[in-house]
This record gives sequence, structure tokens and C-alpha cells, in this order.
Amino acid sequence: MLKVRGLRKIYGNYHALDGLDMDIEDGALYGFVGPNGAGKTTTIKIISGLLLPDQGSVEIDGVDALAHPVGLKEKIGYVPDYFGVYDNLKVSEYMDFFAACYGMEGLKARRRSQMLLDQVGLGDKEDFFVDGLSRGMKQRLCLARALLHDPVLLVMDEPSAGLDPRTRLEFRETLRELNAQGMTILLSSHLLTDLAELCTDVGIVDAGKMLLAGSMEEIAEKIHVSKPIIISIYKNMPAAMALLKEHPLVRSISVKNQEIMVQFVGSERQESGLLTELIQVGVQIRGFVREPGNLEAVFMQLTNHEEERVMLSYEHDQESGL
Amino acid sequence: MNMIKNPVYKREMRVSARSFRLALVLLVFNGILALVALLNMYSMLAQIRVTAEIQYSSFLDLYLFMAVLEFVMLVFIMPAITAGSISGERERQTLDLMLSTKMAPIQIILGKLAASLSTMVLLIISSFPILALVFVYGGVTIKDIVMLLACYGAAALFVGSLGVCCSALFRKSTLSTVVAYGIMGGVVIGTYGINQLALFFNRMPGGGYFTAASAGTGDGSSGGFLYLLLMNPTVTFVMTMLRLSGREAASGNITQWFGNHGENFVSQNWVGCSVVIQIVMAVILIRVAVWAVSRGRRPGKNHYRGSAAWQETKKNKNRLKNRHDGISLGFCHVCF
Repeated sequence: MLKVRGLRKIYGNYHALDGLDMDIEDGALYGFVGPNGAGKTTTIKIISGLLLPDQGSVEIDGVDALAHPVGLKEKIGYVPDYFGVYDNLKVSEYMDFFAACYGMEGLKARRRSQMLLDQVGLGDKEDFFVDGLSRGMKQRLCLARALLHDPVLLVMDEPSAGLDPRTRLEFRETLRELNAQGMTILLSSHLLTDLAELCTDVGIVDAGKMLLAGSMEEIAEKIHVSKPIIISIYKNMPAAMALLKEHPLVRSISVKNQEIMVQFVGSERQESGLLTELIQVGVQIRGFVREPGNLEAVFMQLTNHEEERVMLSYEHDQESGL
Repeated sequence: MNMIKNPVYKREMRVSARSFRLALVLLVFNGILALVALLNMYSMLAQIRVTAEIQYSSFLDLYLFMAVLEFVMLVFIMPAITAGSISGERERQTLDLMLSTKMAPIQIILGKLAASLSTMVLLIISSFPILALVFVYGGVTIKDIVMLLACYGAAALFVGSLGVCCSALFRKSTLSTVVAYGIMGGVVIGTYGINQLALFFNRMPGGGYFTAASAGTGDGSSGGFLYLLLMNPTVTFVMTMLRLSGREAASGNITQWFGNHGENFVSQNWVGCSVVIQIVMAVILIRVAVWAVSRGRRPGKNHYRGSAAWQETKKNKNRLKNRHDGISLGFCHVCF
């Protein structure tokens, strides 16, 4: 659906985007996460045809979006991180105006707009003035506006910012419904928790670069592998150390009292194999567990600018000589 | 381009028709005109009652006075209406929304300008009953009114385009309004001032530098600087009024305004040339506004495609493809 390659954008001396790559499959609900200033909005503006990159390419459905901006706009529905509403304009007139901007007029536009307003729960608010709506309603109106021309990709820049928890939940539900109907959605946020339960895919961006991207399953697997296995030895520590030092999937070993922390890059099956091997060489084990990993911790690690890597509590204790 | 179907024009007209502001502007504009016209007429009638002498030229003076008042108000109101048109969209954060649709920047600019001109036309038409007071005693023909409207039209187009252009160039409506009024002042007062200065210097002993430099045709005149006045809608209006009032012979010849200038095609057809110049300038200003709105957004002559940067991108495409193992690379960086 969307293929972004080597996107670069420089404002003066500031590199907003520094060779960003991104792939979104058909029907995906893609969470685009990064801290403030990571380059999310710039990327979204380029994808939506509102900004030209200094370098790079954007393909939507196999079409070079930068060379065919009008074609691009037919395929994309853009929801920014603000509402963009007019004073003195009713909801139905607001929808009519944007329908006309997409070249839709008359009965067809009216029906489409009515259908979308019903879908986002604003069917009974047609005669309300737009500036009198609540934040949640304005956001839903913006969503309906972006869907007027039946786009293939819905691009949303921090849509739930400033919404109360209940409205946020309702908004998520609407997005889930849209995604279930086959709509591909790109959703940005600086809060990973916002997207973790909602998205099928996620991309973590920082300093204009994609740090981590893939489906939620792939990322969960990577997080799992990244966490160390903590083996609590009851007896025969030397045999355990000898086996682990020779094991091809072990990257590093740390020892603290009767516990060994192992960076093991194998799958769950290989993990159980390691346990069997340890038992076979006569090691008596009272604990064998991977430290639980979570997406938020990885996000914090990836986007940490203060240190190259965040030490785990275990390493910290070890360095402190505890 | 069918303006009636332009979504921006339609929306602007709908919103302005609904707003209290337009009703207020109409009330104030026509109120001032009516007050001045009626006071003038009552004073004339009072004079007639006392002296029994009817000065028919007074009615023409009334017409001229009202036309001048209307022109001044147009020149002052138009920048106020247009200078916030695009920057206002930016401030409301709706410009990007429009640009994310199939609307081209030129449609947005023309829609905004047409809506402002429509408001001006509404102001002018609404003042017709007051202008018609001068027909009570005769003295002004329909042709005179049409000429006056043409002059108003050119000035409104020029000033409106200037306002829209400033609005597109500057992010804040306040700044764009100040700049639009500043440029308007520069055009109206500046071109006149330059001619006065040039005339002053050329009449000084040993003067003539300006005349020579600007390829003027007469001695002790403002030289070629005279033609700067072609941009000045006020001069065009004054020339039109002098022609309408039959005072052209006395002071309506532009060649005599700043020293002795030779007669040529431009000076003989000053109003026509000036209207053309104002329309050309309006077109240039609209182009600048379109450029300002689409700056950095749409591929133009400087689009990176075909440029060195683009070629480098193309050359590196395979390398970038290979680099797309960012998941594991990024991950390893963090975990080890």
C-alpha cells in the first residue's frame, strides 16, 4: 500500500527526516510512534502531499506520489493533529464544502456526507454549528471529512491528543471498525500505549529515522528475544558456565551469586532445548525465566538520547558491586 | 474557471452573508455616504430658499464628492477584507486541510479574491440609491456612472490582489494587513512623492539629473518618474473624475502635473493604460500569492525530481532496499 524510501527533510541545519523508510501493507492499522520532534508530522505531511521532501520517494499503490500529487490526494484522507473548523458554518455545510473540494456535488455528496456522519455518530448534529461542537465531536467530524472521497489510506496525526479517556476509547472503536472494513490506517502518536492495543503494525521513529518497525507479533518476538534469561542454579555452577560459554546462541553471560543472566538469541523452542542441555550435564536448576519485556520499555530505550543504551537493573547492581 | 462552482467562493459568500460584520460594514458605509449626501443636499436647498439662486454645479459637486468618498472607502476597506484571507485560513489551520484535497492553490486564491470583490460590488450596488440622489436634478449620465464603476473595479482588483498576496506571504493577519496598507500607502503617496521630489530637484539650479536619468522629455519636469503614477489607482480615479466633471481641459492633463511632459500615447490614454497596468499588476500579485501558498508543497520548476538530489536517491535505491533490515539492526543496537 505505502512504500516510503530514504525520506530526507532538512529545515536549515535541522534534519527533521534522515533517510526514513516505511512500509505499510494493505489493510494494516499502522502505529507510527516517536517522541515529540522525531519527524512524525513531517513524514505525515509528505505522505499527504503537503510538503515536498528534499530526498526520497513515496509510493502509494505502486504510484509515485511525489510526481503525481493530484492522484495522491485522491488516495489519501488526512486528519491533522488539530481540528481546522470554520466559524459560522454548520456541520452539513462543512461536509458539503470539503465534498466540493474533492469535486463531489449535489445528491451524491449529500448522501455520502450523511452516511459518514451517521458512521461517526454525528448524524443528528447536521444543523449544529461546527465551532459549537465538543472536541470529541470535532475530531469525529474531521474523520468523516477525511473519508468523504473514499480514500485507500487514512493518515492521522495524533488524533486522540487532548481527548478525554472515554472519547478516546470511542474514537479507537471507530478506527477499529474502519480497519475491519478494509481501510488501511496510518496513525501517529507520541504515546505507545495509545497504539499498542489498537495497531496491527508499529514503527518507532526518532531523530528522523525508523528505529524499529514490523507487525506487532514480530516486535513482540524481538522484545522477547532481547530480554535476558535468568537461570537460578541450585548446584553445579561450573558445569552450567562451561555449557553456556560454548553455546552458539548465547551472546553474553553475567553472574550474580547463584544466578546467571544470559543474553540468549534463540526462539522459545531453543530456550527449552537449553534447559534440557543444562539438566543433562548435571546442573540442578531452581529457576529458569526470561525477564518480562514490554513495548513501552523498548520504546523508552530506543528513544533515549541521554545514553546509548539503558542498563538493566541487574547490570546496574553488578556495576555497583552489589 | 467557473467561480460560482468554486467551493471557497461559495463558502465565503455563505459565511459572510450570515455574519453580522457584513451587515455592519454595509450600514456604516452607506450611513456615512447618506449622511454626507443628505447634509449636502439640505444645505443646497437651504441656500436656494434664502437666495433663490440655483447653482446646478452644486449637484455635480455632490456627485464628485460622493464618488471620491466611495473610492477612498473602497481603497481603505479592500485591504482590510483581503489581507486576512489566506493568513486567516492558516490561523484557523484550515489551509492545509484545503490543500490536502484536490483544490489547487490558484482556486483557493481566486475564490478568496472573488469573494472579496463580491463584497465590494455589494457595497457599491448598495450605495446606488444614495448615488442616485444626484439624478434628482440631473447632471450625470449612465455612461458617467459606468466609467466610474470601471475605475472602481480596476482599483478594487488591484488593491484586493495586493491584500491577498500579502496574506499569502505572511503568516499573521495583523502583519499582512499592516504590510498591505503600507504598500498601498507607498503606491498612492509614494509615487506622487517621488514625482514631487524629482520635480523639486530638477527645478533646482543645476538640476536635470533626474530628467536625464529617467529619460524624461521636458525640462524642469519629474521626467520618466511620471509613469510610476500609472500604478496609482488614485491618479486614475482623479483623471476619471476630472474627465467626468468636464474639467479635463483645465487640470485633467497628466503631462502638466509635474512640469512640462511631452504628449504621447500613454498620456493621451492615461486612464486606459493605468487600468491595464493595474490589471497586469493584479495578475502578477495573484501569481505571487499562488507561489506563496504552494511553496514547498507542489512540484514546480525546482522540484527535486531530475535534480542532483533525486539522481542520488535513485542511485542509492538498491542500497536503501538492502538497508531495510532496520528492525534487527535497530534492535541489536539497543540490546547489545
